[in-house]
Amino acid sequence: MDRNDIKKWFKSPDKMGDKYSLWAIYFCTGCGIIEIPPVITARWDAERFGVIPVATPRQSNLFLITGYVSVKTLRAIIRTYEQMPEPKYTVGFGSCPINGGMYWDSYNTIKHLDKYIPIDGWIAGCMPRPEAIFVAVTHLWTLIDQGKAKAYVKYREKYGLYRKNQEMALGKLDWPPLYTTGGGND
Amino acid sequence: MISALKNDLESIFKDIQISAPEDDRLIINAQKDAVLTILKFFKDKGYDHLAMISCTDWIEEDEFELIYIVGSYSVYAPAAEDITSDKSGVSKEAAFNGGNILLKTRISRKDPRFITAIPVFENSEPYEREIHELFGVDFKGHPRLTPLFLEREYKIPPFRKDFDTRRYVKDFFDQIPFVENKEK
Ligand code: SF4
Repeated sequence: MDRNDIKKWFKSPDKMGDKYSLWAIYFCTGCGIIEIPPVITARWDAERFGVIPVATPRQSNLFLITGYVSVKTLRAIIRTYEQMPEPKYTVGFGSCPINGGMYWDSYNTIKHLDKYIPIDGWIAGCMPRPEAIFVAVTHLWTLIDQGKAKAYVKYREKYGLYRKNQEMALGKLDWPPLYTTGGGND
Repeated sequence: MISALKNDLESIFKDIQISAPEDDRLIINAQKDAVLTILKFFKDKGYDHLAMISCTDWIEEDEFELIYIVGSYSVYAPAAEDITSDKSGVSKEAAFNGGNILLKTRISRKDPRFITAIPVFENSEPYEREIHELFGVDFKGHPRLTPLFLEREYKIPPFRKDFDTRRYVKDFFDQIPFVENKEK
């Protein structure tokens, strides 16, 4: 541990705790998931950064969306995201979830992931290298430190709008709303 | 090997064109009513593996082309006595494992119907389901032509050449607003 951080630990232990315990949900979509095994295993060892993959959304607080998202995957992504306990952080990975990437005119991939769930940060590239993931993680630390990684709060506040978008893409959703308040709901 | 197969085929089936572009590949263009019998012919010969069924949209000719790719795990598998003692160690016959058979047929685009190949190769089920979903070809006798991959309904099946993906993206995905813009 960095000695200079000790002050921070005393000042806001919760933030420091969040920063160094990022549990990433092991959710595979698109080409990008190929980068994840070397990242989390011995080669690049994500655990140095406190990132460990976990199997279920209920134990995780970091959601890496690793590539293009088809309409069918979107349904799973929303369900997964909603099951994660707060505080939770989302990172879109690769150009596909950012703006469609090379699937920009595909009939079946959604182009902008942030229309459906809120995103804390993006990693551009097709495909980003594992190093880029660590850069993103350190950026996420900064955001958490500054109190800016608040996408989950936004989701709560504007849930109505998000839900409306989700329903536009997927039709009637067969699970009840996560929140009953928030933009568009009231 | 492949030439023997070619001669065999030509003597049995009349209305087909066969070409063998490579030593281990046979391309057969057949009329649609002959497809199942030809598949059966190959199956009886020991071609036990239907690798895939695929479809091509020839929009200018107003036809769909169905392509059956058949291979084999058992036919011509090198038996011990076939492995000769020449320099390479394996005789040409033994090395030949049956190759790939590409069986092509055309069906009308206006009325895209065909019969299922499940009675011959059971694993054609998912392929036909996929072609039904993406090209809108109806396979008679298929037990469940329900959606396989797609989540939404499309007016024109999306793999047809006249499906305008850019229009679709504009009319559908681009219509969904960004949450930030919506608030204003
Ligand atoms: S950004 Fe590139 S590598 Fe990533 S999912 Fe899209 S096409 Fe695949």
